[in-house]
Amino acid sequence: MASIAAATLPAEVISLLKDRASLKILATTDGQGNPHAVVKGSLTVQDDGLLVYREAMESSRANANMLRSVWYDKVVSVLVVGSNGHAYQIKGKAHRYVISGPIFKQHYLEARREEGPDSEVAGVWLIEPVEVRNETFSVRKEEEDKKHPHMRHFDRASVSGVAATTETPTLGLGVI
Amino acid sequence: MSQRGSMSFKEVAAKYPDVPRLVIRKIDAGLRGVAMTDRAMERARESNSVFEDEGEPGGERAPWKLGGGTFRDGSSFLGSDFTLIGPGRPALLRGGLVPYSLDIIGEKLMLVDGEEPVEEVYLDTIPDYYGKKTSRGTPMHHIVHSDSDCLKLNPHSYCQAWSEGQPCKFCFATGRRRGSQGPKTDADLEDIYETVSEALKEPGRWTEMHLVAGSDPAGATPYENEANSYIAVLKTLKRCFGGKGLPVRLVSSAFPEKTLVRLREAGAAIVGPNLEVWDEKLFEWICPFKAKYFGRQYWIDSLVAAVKVFGRGNVRTQWVGGAEMAQPYGFKTMDEAVASTLEGTEFLARHGVSARLNILRVRQDSAFYGQKQAQPSLEYCVKLSVGIRDIRRKYGLGVALSDYRSETTRPDVDLSRLDLPDVVA
Ligand code: SF4
Repeated sequence: MASIAAATLPAEVISLLKDRASLKILATTDGQGNPHAVVKGSLTVQDDGLLVYREAMESSRANANMLRSVWYDKVVSVLVVGSNGHAYQIKGKAHRYVISGPIFKQHYLEARREEGPDSEVAGVWLIEPVEVRNETFSVRKEEEDKKHPHMRHFDRASVSGVAATTETPTLGLGVI
Repeated sequence: MSQRGSMSFKEVAAKYPDVPRLVIRKIDAGLRGVAMTDRAMERARESNSVFEDEGEPGGERAPWKLGGGTFRDGSSFLGSDFTLIGPGRPALLRGGLVPYSLDIIGEKLMLVDGEEPVEEVYLDTIPDYYGKKTSRGTPMHHIVHSDSDCLKLNPHSYCQAWSEGQPCKFCFATGRRRGSQGPKTDADLEDIYETVSEALKEPGRWTEMHLVAGSDPAGATPYENEANSYIAVLKTLKRCFGGKGLPVRLVSSAFPEKTLVRLREAGAAIVGPNLEVWDEKLFEWICPFKAKYFGRQYWIDSLVAAVKVFGRGNVRTQWVGGAEMAQPYGFKTMDEAVASTLEGTEFLARHGVSARLNILRVRQDSAFYGQKQAQPSLEYCVKLSVGIRDIRRKYGLGVALSDYRSETTRPDVDLSRLDLPDVVA
C-alpha cells in the first residue's frame, strides 16, 4: 500500500479526526494475528498528515502491537466516527514512537492539562496513513447495493417497491 | 582479529528474520561505533542537543556529550555507553571495524553505513539542569549525569578493584582508581539534593534513576561501606521525591540479606549486582576482585536472597556478552558460549532474578584491550539476545528501570518490549 500524502487526506476525515467529540478506535494485531481494539481519545492528525496519539501505558497490548507495526511493517487501523454518524477507516503503519523532545513534551503537557497531575504519557505514536475508506453506513450500503444488486431480500423497498414490514415479530412465549 | 565471525548486517538480518532489523542495526552500530560528521555536530548544536563541557581537570569526561538520540521505534541510540567518535573523542574500540557515520542527508539526520543512509536518528535535547550550579558552585552535571531519560549518580566514585590492581578485565572506568574514598559528605549530599530537585523540574524527562558505586568490600559485613554510601544517597533522594517511593535501581556489589533489607527500607526499588560471566572458571579469571570478595557462590546467593527482599523481577544482573569468549581461557565456539550464559540466565530466572545482556566493547584502558581480545560478532550478539529474552519471557520477568529508553547496548532489553503486557516489573 502506498502512503497517502498529507494533502490528500479528505477534508472531512481531517475535520473528524480533529473533532474531540468524535469516537476514535485503534485496532492492532498481536504476533498471532489476533485483533485488539481500543478507544484512543487523544488521536488526531498533524499538519503533515500523520495521525498522532498519546500512549498512556508502556506495557499495554496496543503499545506492544504498535511496536510490532514499526518493527515488522504491519498495518494498523483507525476508525473515526463523528457525532453526525459519518465514519472513516484509516489504515496505516506505525511511523515513529516519540519518547522525548519537543513533540513529546507538547503532548505530555497537554495530558497534564486535560487529565490532571497523575496523567502519564509513555510515548506519542505517529501513524502514516496508507488507505482511507468511508465507512458511513449509508455510503457503504449504496456502494454494496450497486456492486451486489442480487444480494438483498425481496421485500426491501428498493427491490420490489412493496411496503416493507416494520412489525417486530412476537417471540415464542405463550404460543405453545 | 578485531571481531569474531564476519557476517554483515544484511546477512545476519536475512538469517534471523524474526529479529527486528532496527534491533540488529543498533547492535551493529554499537559494535562498530558511530562517527559524527561536522554537519551532524552542527545540527546537534542547532537543536540544543550537545553539551560542550569544559571537562574536569584530569578527568576522563569527554569534551562533549549528546542529550541522547532515538530510532523511530523510540529505543535509545547514542547513549553514554555508545562509542561515539568525533572532535576530541577518538575511536576507543579495538580497531579494524569501520564505524557508521551520523550525517545530514537531505534534511534528515541519518545513520549511514558506508555510503548508504540506513536509519533516521532523532536527537534529544540536553537536560535543563545542565550548565547550572549548586549553591556552593558545583556544576550540576558533575554530580548527576543524564543518559537519555535516566539520571545516574555515583554514591562514591572509587572502585577498590582498581586500587588493588584487579579490575574486571573488560572495565575501562579508570577514573574509579582516583575517586575519593568514603561516603559523601553532608555538602556532597546537599549538592545531590539540589541537583536532583532541579532535574525533576523538567516535565516528562525522567523515568529511571541509577545509583552506581564502585566496589568497596570493607566494613563489619561484606560491602558494608558501599551499602552505607547508597543509604546516605537514598535518604537524600527521599527528600527530593517528597517521601514517595523511589524509582531507583542500584548497580551495586552483592550484599548479605540483612544489608539488602536496610537498602530496601532506605527506598531502593531494584538491586543489580552484576555477575558479568556465568562460567565458574571464567568468572575467576575475568572478575578476580569479585572472586576474591567473596566468591562466585556468595554473589549468586546474594542475588537469590535479594529476591526475597525486593520481590521477583526486582533483582537484576548482567552478562558482559562476548567476555566468555575471551582467549585463552574462554569458550572456543559460539554455541558453547551461548549455552553457558543461557544456563546461568535460566538458573537465576528460576529464582526470580532477571539477567540482562551488556555487549562487550573492547575499550581502551581495559585489560582486554591490552590483550587484543576480539569484539563479539553481530550474529553472536543476536543469538544471545534472543536466548536471554526467551528465558525472561518463559519466567515472566521484566526489565523495568533499565529498559530500551536509556539502554543502548542491551539488545535483549529491546526485544523484551513485546513481552511487557505479560511480565512483572
Ligand atoms: S567492579 Fe569491576 S566493572 Fe565495576 S567499576 Fe570495579 S572494576 Fe569496573
